[in-house]
Amino acid sequence: MYAAFAANAFQTRLAYRNQAWSSFFGQLIQVFARIAIWMAVYAGVASVDGITLADMITYAILATAVMGVWDHALLMRDLDVAIKTGDVAVFLLKPLHYPLYLFAAHCGNLAFNTLAVVLPVTLIIGVTYGIQPPASAMHGASFLGFWALSFAIYFLLAMTCGLLAFWLMTAHSLEWFLTGIMALFSGSILPLWFFPPALAAVAQYLPFAWVAYYPTAVYLGKLEPAETGLILAIGLGWAAVLAAGVGLLWSRARHRIVVQGG
Amino acid sequence: MSEIIVADGVTKRFRQPKRYSGLAGAIKGLISREFTEVRAVEDISFTIRAGEAVGYLGPNGAGKSTMIKMMTGILVPTGGALSVLGRTPHEERMVNAREIGVVFGQRSQLWWDLPVHDSFELHRRIYDVPEARYRENLAHLTRMLGMESYLDRAVRQLSLGQRMRAEMAMALLHDPRILFLDEPTIGLDVVAKDAVRKFLTEVNRERGVTIILTTHDLQDIEEICPRLIMVDDGKLLFDGELKRLRTALGARRRLKLDFATDPGPVSLTSARLVSDEGASKHFLIENEETSLVDVLAELGGGHGLKDVSLEEPDIEEVIRTFYQQRPALVPQ
Repeated sequence: MYAAFAANAFQTRLAYRNQAWSSFFGQLIQVFARIAIWMAVYAGVASVDGITLADMITYAILATAVMGVWDHALLMRDLDVAIKTGDVAVFLLKPLHYPLYLFAAHCGNLAFNTLAVVLPVTLIIGVTYGIQPPASAMHGASFLGFWALSFAIYFLLAMTCGLLAFWLMTAHSLEWFLTGIMALFSGSILPLWFFPPALAAVAQYLPFAWVAYYPTAVYLGKLEPAETGLILAIGLGWAAVLAAGVGLLWSRARHRIVVQGG
Repeated sequence: MSEIIVADGVTKRFRQPKRYSGLAGAIKGLISREFTEVRAVEDISFTIRAGEAVGYLGPNGAGKSTMIKMMTGILVPTGGALSVLGRTPHEERMVNAREIGVVFGQRSQLWWDLPVHDSFELHRRIYDVPEARYRENLAHLTRMLGMESYLDRAVRQLSLGQRMRAEMAMALLHDPRILFLDEPTIGLDVVAKDAVRKFLTEVNRERGVTIILTTHDLQDIEEICPRLIMVDDGKLLFDGELKRLRTALGARRRLKLDFATDPGPVSLTSARLVSDEGASKHFLIENEETSLVDVLAELGGGHGLKDVSLEEPDIEEVIRTFYQQRPALVPQ
């Protein structure tokens, strides 16, 4: 049943092809801009703290395009509209779990974006500037695991903010808040290894780092193998904590909908 | 026939934060903890047996939708007991959902961007309808509702009438035992309204699906539902057959006579004069048996009568009449 929701979300996106084109160009420009910055930074320098320009180009492709292809704003707006218009009642009428439904639908979104946006952007940038292969087959395989975890954590973070908006009545400012936090702490713009030590010490334990930084770092082989397992475990822990939080928030929100009528 | 819905003193009150007007009021609203209590449903009791078709009638804001939402399990009653198919709806929402079908006239349950057929297919998966049963139902409903021509069109491209038919078909795909409809004919043109009414009558008579329908259109009730539950202001006003209500009330029709020139005072025994504007005079016909022919025969010729119009009482008129005569009529 939930697989059908994912397939349908995918199909729905096909109906809006222009949207796919605009996000394709948007992503392309973003990645180009990041690479231009790193090229300026690395002018005349072979490596900074053992990180080469080639590393940073690959980092820009992965952290910006691959991890940035799903946007929390999509989910938060869906949720905001459903609650404000009362359409959420339609989902309560059906024998299904609404947050799981949203997760399935957004998996479909993610699959579509990956095929229609990430793949072409990666190809174009890869051909233009070159992309590094994963540090090893093992690193490549772990990257796939981290990538799935990245989406799960990002989805849960967006869901948490979206449900909090239900009480705070400020979906818009929460959306901006999450955008800001993600830009800084996820490592999508600046990898954690360039953070000032004090900030990095905090950021490395926050769930945001699992969204962009850790998957990319694993791919590039910048983590110790022993460390990788521990980081994966902490990430899974965060996912579990966030999932429990979302479950709790949703049951409170549902209770309020059924008692107060929205 | 078994009783499948039992409402016993069901009450629903909403608490709304008090709002104040103006800018100063908005600021006051931020710190104020005062609430106004809205009584949407007030101590309502009734029972509905399997296979019945019941019209739940009342003006806007009478608490009709609130009652439907409680019966479908998406609102929790503040007081009283409610049982649908032997369960408390909000406590067993998922199980309840599988055995009921719900249609909201003002809210679509179809997937907006998908072809109708894909929405149906999703519905099949959500409700685990066996493939063979699904095909049979789909073919039958498509034929009954004449949906062949637009099954593969996206929902957003449908007319309201087509969409309503698709909504009703979807709500019936999983063979629900009860079908709830919240204002299914709202906004539809005469032809589409007629199609919806014919279809619902057939579903009730032939498939034996219990139908509970809210409306403020008396015509819906007359054609679909032998039984009528009338509410206003959250309270139960009447529960019984429509015919009984009409006879009990002697529902008054309005008669308007237009003359070429003012014929002077006209008095009739079959109709009571309510306002006299000279050339046009308004009457109320209080006796159900009186026909237009009777009135015209009594009036006779020679008055220079130009035009006659007779209006059936609309629902507001019925309810107004009902209020006036209430003490004599309250059941029990």
